[in-house]
Amino acid sequence: MMTYIVFILSVIFVIGFVGFSSKPSPIYGGLVLIVSGGVGCGIIMNFGGSFLGLMVFLIYLGGMLVVFGYTTAMATEQYPEVWVSNATVMGVFLLGLLMEVMLVLYVLKSEEVGVVFKFSSVGDWAIYDIGNSGVFSEEIVGVAALYSYGAWVVVVTGWSLLVGVLVILEVTRGD
Amino acid sequence: MNPLILTIILMTVFLGTMIVMASSHWLMIWIGFEMNLLAIIPILMKKYNPRAMEASTKYFLTQATASMLLMMAIIINLMHSGQWTITKVFNPTASIIMTLALAMKLGLTPFHFWVPEVTQGISLTSGLILLTWQKLAPMSILYQISPSINLNILLTMAVLSILVGGWGGLNQTQLRKIMAYSSIAHMGWMTAILVYNPTLTMLNMLIYIMMTLTMFMLFIHSSSTTTLSLSHTWNKAPLITTLILITLLSMGGLPPLSGFMPKWMIIQELTKNSSIILPTLMAIMALLNLYFYTRLTYSTSLTMFPSTNNMKMKWQFETKQITLLPPLIIASSLLLPLTPMLSILD
Repeated sequence: MMTYIVFILSVIFVIGFVGFSSKPSPIYGGLVLIVSGGVGCGIIMNFGGSFLGLMVFLIYLGGMLVVFGYTTAMATEQYPEVWVSNATVMGVFLLGLLMEVMLVLYVLKSEEVGVVFKFSSVGDWAIYDIGNSGVFSEEIVGVAALYSYGAWVVVVTGWSLLVGVLVILEVTRGD
Repeated sequence: MNPLILTIILMTVFLGTMIVMASSHWLMIWIGFEMNLLAIIPILMKKYNPRAMEASTKYFLTQATASMLLMMAIIINLMHSGQWTITKVFNPTASIIMTLALAMKLGLTPFHFWVPEVTQGISLTSGLILLTWQKLAPMSILYQISPSINLNILLTMAVLSILVGGWGGLNQTQLRKIMAYSSIAHMGWMTAILVYNPTLTMLNMLIYIMMTLTMFMLFIHSSSTTTLSLSHTWNKAPLITTLILITLLSMGGLPPLSGFMPKWMIIQELTKNSSIILPTLMAIMALLNLYFYTRLTYSTSLTMFPSTNNMKMKWQFETKQITLLPPLIIASSLLLPLTPMLSILD
């Protein structure tokens, strides 16, 4: 099973996405996002990205999703929709599950899937490897490079965040 | 809007497009697009009625989808070429997806459905920014990847856009929808020549922006958003009616006005590349555009359009200030003799 761990985790990832794309109430969408986020962290860590996995948990789940959960809890209705409460939601969810099951069977049967680009085998999903120095992990170097060589990117993203806040305030002001 | 916030937001719209046009790293281009989209939303929602909110939401959804497609194309390109610089996109899959994404951003057929609805739901000034400034960034990326674009897809979209822009605008009386369909048709003309001679795309973009700016300025001056309202401008400012006549005929592509220049050059370039049927079709379909422009001039400048008697005196708020109207008028009607200067765009 460990050779297929990335595959299994990606299948759970996609099932999670199907779960919230079938549009139950946002609270349940957030619940599914937690699961998908944790599973996504597992996928990244299997490629050696321990720092990025930590970022997913800390920033994404622990920051953004918590704020999302609070705002949804303030804005939720009395009887939020679950997957089984509405025939449409259930139908879309089952349809998504069916597509995913068919894709998994197809991947397991034929050793190679060439839909848009080739997935070579079940063991390694779409790998993009940049270099194996073996001394330090490459992903942390990226973060260091962001603050030294890529200072302009930090400026641009910081400005975007500021403008994002201003835009949101402006849009929700009304009147 | 608070003037400081408005300044910051307009600056970010400007900055987003500049980042797109000046970057050599695909990720920065994507960031520029997103920054542009984010900052233009409050400009589209200047008036807080449900129509404007719906229009902004539609714009946001379509442009965000296009950005996602663009990101996917960028990543496929990264996977196959291993680098992030803007050059020819070597992988055909990535190239096709990128072309489709940029076509969605521009409003080419079959992704044109958002253009009339969004343009109609927002104020005239916001529509102006939407139809002119927002076209610069995707067109600059198309210009940079033009050697690798799949010709069949792009030409199909271009011809269909000219068709849709012509036919769709025929039944419209709302001026903003007319301008939206005219924008779709002009984007079709621009992308038709992109693979053969990208300089002409830039020329067409330049002339189109000037003409659309002029038209919107004239509409803003007379505070009119419908044909009926525009037909009363003879009462308030008779000179505006003449200018509307000239600019609309220029947009239709009639010589000796400057709108003829891009069409002439494009047809010439296409025939140089041994395609005869295509430019003939395009020229014939541009007649549809010309028809509803002349209908607009007929109701505005050439006749006293029928209306009730108490409407003969045009009632409007005080005249809004229009920026740079005289140079724009000159640029959108008299530039034809300067055609040899298009070599500076190379």
